[in-house]
Amino acid sequence: MDKQTMDKAMMELLARRAGLDKALAEHPEDVAAAATQAADVARKIKAPADPRAEPWPPMRAGDGL
Amino acid sequence: MTDLHFMTAAAAAKAIAAKELSPVELTEALLARIERLDPRLNAFIRLDGEAAMAAARTAEAEVAAGRVRGPLHGVPVGIKDIIDVAGLPTTCHSKILADNIATADAVCVSKLRGAGAIVLGKLSTHEFAIGGPSHDLPWPPARNPWNTDHHPGGSSSGSGSGVAAGLFPMALGTDTGGSVRNPASCCGIVGLKPTYGLVSRRGVFPLSFTLDHVGPMTRTVADNALMLEVLAGHDTSDPGSVAAARGHYAAGVDRDVRGLRVGFVQHFHETDMPADPEVTAALEHVARTLQLEGAEVRDVHLPTLGEFGAVNRVILQSEAWAIHAPWLRARPGDYGQLARRRLMAGAFFAAGDYVQAQRRRLEMIAAVEEVLRDVDVLLCASSMDPACRIDSPADIDRTYPRQARTPFNVTGHPALAMMAGVSVGGLPLSVQFVGRYFDEATLFQVARGWERAAGTDKKHPAIV
Repeated sequence: MDKQTMDKAMMELLARRAGLDKALAEHPEDVAAAATQAADVARKIKAPADPRAEPWPPMRAGDGL
Repeated sequence: MTDLHFMTAAAAAKAIAAKELSPVELTEALLARIERLDPRLNAFIRLDGEAAMAAARTAEAEVAAGRVRGPLHGVPVGIKDIIDVAGLPTTCHSKILADNIATADAVCVSKLRGAGAIVLGKLSTHEFAIGGPSHDLPWPPARNPWNTDHHPGGSSSGSGSGVAAGLFPMALGTDTGGSVRNPASCCGIVGLKPTYGLVSRRGVFPLSFTLDHVGPMTRTVADNALMLEVLAGHDTSDPGSVAAARGHYAAGVDRDVRGLRVGFVQHFHETDMPADPEVTAALEHVARTLQLEGAEVRDVHLPTLGEFGAVNRVILQSEAWAIHAPWLRARPGDYGQLARRRLMAGAFFAAGDYVQAQRRRLEMIAAVEEVLRDVDVLLCASSMDPACRIDSPADIDRTYPRQARTPFNVTGHPALAMMAGVSVGGLPLSVQFVGRYFDEATLFQVARGWERAAGTDKKHPAIV
């Protein structure tokens, strides 16, 4: 999905999929603002160039429990 | 004894242990000041004066019997209202949790009580520690004691406001994207986000599991070190807690800074987010002062603030969505608008966005670690502007994101914000110091070096 071009239909689809029907009915402008915020932020993340780059924190079996 | 309200925690504890000051006298004086000033500051959501006086009388009797519980015996403290205090509501400043009575103290509160501190009550926050000053919640937002027309920063807004105003000498805050350091910056006090995992989060309402920290807020660096000494330590009930050795932070706080290497992250405030000229001048003054005190200051480079901010936001809002989704689905109208918008954003990230942010996070940690191999401490901006007016949503929207605090939630390094000066308009300007993991001692050493040279611990708002 192109985050820069999320339109109203897409936003509503994602909101309903997330269970935000009530928010969509009662606070549609806030749902739209939230969707815009998310789209703006997500596109600013530079994915690591190295496909082997691990996320943080790494999985450590048997550690920390 | 005069000016009890601006007495440091260390001085109060010393005087109490020496039977020169009664905890009852100190608590009464602070409660009287709270009664007089808090209607203008709104630092408290819930003042528990009766319990505080009972604890003060117990503390007095203990001292009379020759028993001092610990280094904070008889010293009052305020607790941000996302942190549990047994028997009191933990509301998170939200209608959602208005009736949520805590059944036990959070570990950090329990440690403070164990050291002899007296809990005064629960303090204002941004709703669920996210957003900004809101006027559509069950309690009003806290205000800045330097000028009550301005905001005090947040989300630990009552903590910052109350410490600066002399309502209490110390407070607990929490910091997920800068929420201890923002009010410390806006209110001209000392706020520390310790190394991730150094202070237990057990009993603290979560905002973002991998970014949340509990931190001390005080008027002096020495008090901050004293408070951290009480708070730090491994906790098996907090999965993020690290079994690192506890430092002896207070003892070395007065060492001078000669020979220390300070990395100045100038691109944060010069090119990433050009700061207000008064902030830039204050940061340069801090750097020059540390040089004069014998430190070596050099320019260093980190990833940009824009990228740090995006990584912080994707992780924070994704994790917060996982916590708040049931309430946002069923009771969206019970949130204030600011929190509702920020918390719902997490619903619109894809799983891959979160994983990419966590992958980039590891690279950012490596970048900061590489720089900290060559310097002992980083010096950088905290807020790019002094606090704006609280009644100007447009100015709050514009200035709140203009900060350099989120990088160190992303990386988990310890970071301390404090006063760097006072603006022409009479509001605090700020500076931030960042240290190596679990090396809060060096952070305090540098912060105290600046405080000693500039006398920032003697500057208080004129509110009476």
